[in-house]
Amino acid sequence: METLDLIVNIAASTLRLATPLILAAMAGLLSLQVGQVNIGLEGMMLAGSFAVVAFGFWLGSTWMGVLAAILVGVALAALFAFVVTRLKANLIVSGLALNLLASGGTAYLLEILFNTSGTFSPTALQSLPNLSLPVLSDLPLVGRLLFNHSPLVYVSWLAIPLTALFLYRTIPGIHIQAIGQNEEAARSVGIPVRRRQYLALMIGGALCGLAGAHLAVGDLALFREDMTAGRGFIALAAVYFAAGRPRLSALACLLFGLFEALQFRLQLASSIPPQFFQMLPYVMVVITLAVISARKEWRKGWS
Amino acid sequence: MSQRIRILTMLTLLLILVVGAGATRAQDSDLSVALIIAQGGLGDRSYNDSAFAGLTLAAQEFGVDVVPIESSDPVGEGEQLLRAAAEAGFDLVITLEFSHFDPLARVAPDYPETLFSIVNIVVEGPNIVSIMFDEHTGSYLAGALSAMVTTDAAVPNTNEDVVLGAIGGVQSSGIDVFLDGYIQGACAINPDISVLVAYSNGFGDPATGRELALAMHESGADVVYQIAGGTGQGVIEAAKDTGFWAVGVDSDQDYLAPGFVLTSMLKRVDIAVYDLIGRLVAGELEGGTVAQYGLAENGVGISDMTYSRHVVPRAYTDRVNELREGIIAGDISVIDTRVISEEQRTAFYSNRTCAGIQDLMSSMGS
Repeated sequence: METLDLIVNIAASTLRLATPLILAAMAGLLSLQVGQVNIGLEGMMLAGSFAVVAFGFWLGSTWMGVLAAILVGVALAALFAFVVTRLKANLIVSGLALNLLASGGTAYLLEILFNTSGTFSPTALQSLPNLSLPVLSDLPLVGRLLFNHSPLVYVSWLAIPLTALFLYRTIPGIHIQAIGQNEEAARSVGIPVRRRQYLALMIGGALCGLAGAHLAVGDLALFREDMTAGRGFIALAAVYFAAGRPRLSALACLLFGLFEALQFRLQLASSIPPQFFQMLPYVMVVITLAVISARKEWRKGWS
Repeated sequence: MSQRIRILTMLTLLLILVVGAGATRAQDSDLSVALIIAQGGLGDRSYNDSAFAGLTLAAQEFGVDVVPIESSDPVGEGEQLLRAAAEAGFDLVITLEFSHFDPLARVAPDYPETLFSIVNIVVEGPNIVSIMFDEHTGSYLAGALSAMVTTDAAVPNTNEDVVLGAIGGVQSSGIDVFLDGYIQGACAINPDISVLVAYSNGFGDPATGRELALAMHESGADVVYQIAGGTGQGVIEAAKDTGFWAVGVDSDQDYLAPGFVLTSMLKRVDIAVYDLIGRLVAGELEGGTVAQYGLAENGVGISDMTYSRHVVPRAYTDRVNELREGIIAGDISVIDTRVISEEQRTAFYSNRTCAGIQDLMSSMGS
């Protein structure tokens, strides 16, 4: 019973930790598929975290804050799309600029709008209420594992099949893949390249806004400077290792969450230096994905 | 290059003048003090603001001219800031920025007439006063209180496990001194207690702090001490949502989640700054010294427990006061793990328990 309890705790922690990563990874893979890799995921998330707290506080509704976070994410993504497609700016530089803008901009706005620095946690702001279903949420272990999370956790689960469906089963999605593979060829057959690029990046902006909102008000109810703490880059790494495939990217994010949840508990149970455990999630994700793609390659070679 | 430094210096001086124009003026002393603000800046409601409060109070009490110096990059501009302040003729230049230890060692010899002061680290020099805090003794009191609370079923938010938790931002001697003081205090009350220790690997990630605190709570910890800056905000939120106790650090964080923060380990930078200026005015401040702020000076201690005192038995806070008196009187010794030998450190950290504390104490011959 106790072991079962521990497993459920670790699994539930995994799902919570993976949520912002999955949302950001879906955004990252859309940008990769359309050939305009956005390393500004981190910045769009952070702006989302700030927006959800600021607007949630002003409007007196956390859900309105979530809407604002999505809009801010979309607006920043549109700015990024404009800069890299119309102005033909370098992708890396533009993405970095986006991150710096978000990091410095949110710290600055915190100062001038709320007269504070570091952390902003208005008491009036509520975190999003956990899902509470009759019967299901009260089930002993399954309820805790599956039916008792913050609402955006479920949004992240939905985002995975929806992203796959969009990319592989809709016309704009197939256009996006074509553009990523060869922009000139796509243009020559009449695909509206720039419109599709804007579309892919702006959907990504919305997803990053949601990811940031989850970080700030999913389980907490506060904004902290640079609270995204590198999650945008971890999500991007997951996307690259999974070669831009939605389900595999999400799996990488879940793995990362799992090993993060594990390392927290391993630190408590052992006197091995904590740095060893802190490194685990990164190492394990690299190893697992390397094995997965190696197996794929072997199969190709055999057949 | 020297041209650029000169321009930078001039700009900084100009800034000082502009800021200084708004500062408190008083006639009864012609001494002047500059306070270089650390990362985080004024308005952090913690370390910098606390020091500034001490500075302001000193200006009112002693009538000295005081000027806070803010920079957008206090780490990178360390040397320029220190030089500019010394050039401007301040009698005492206090820097709150820990990373200034290196530039300070370079700059101070060039201005023998100026007194410098740095917080949280000892820098050698005939005109440098280092300000150090006994974080271990303050944490000891917090640990002792936590250990009494965790076994008392009558106190809300506790469970039957005799387990506490402590979360550090990163593993470094400056953070570990808090953790080790906390463990020592807990073990002094209950040698069978276990204190879970973990590091969040950063100071600005509340989501991680929350998960880590939840993992500790699942393992039986019902009081969790956080020494992790912004990450610690997540620890306090987890305590509030799940129903256990957090212990705050540096400033009084009890108000952040009333009824879920047992107490806060206070580090009174304001008292240190005020005291330092007081000694300057009295002509007693000498360079080449270390000003140690411990329990006796009220430099460290635990908060007034505004939101928790009504549920914590009086006997416990009395016991904490006894321990405090005992430490001040020298009857109780608390080990500062910053100054133990490398072998002692290795031995203790491979067995960071009450038994490990015992071994460490006997290896130190106390």
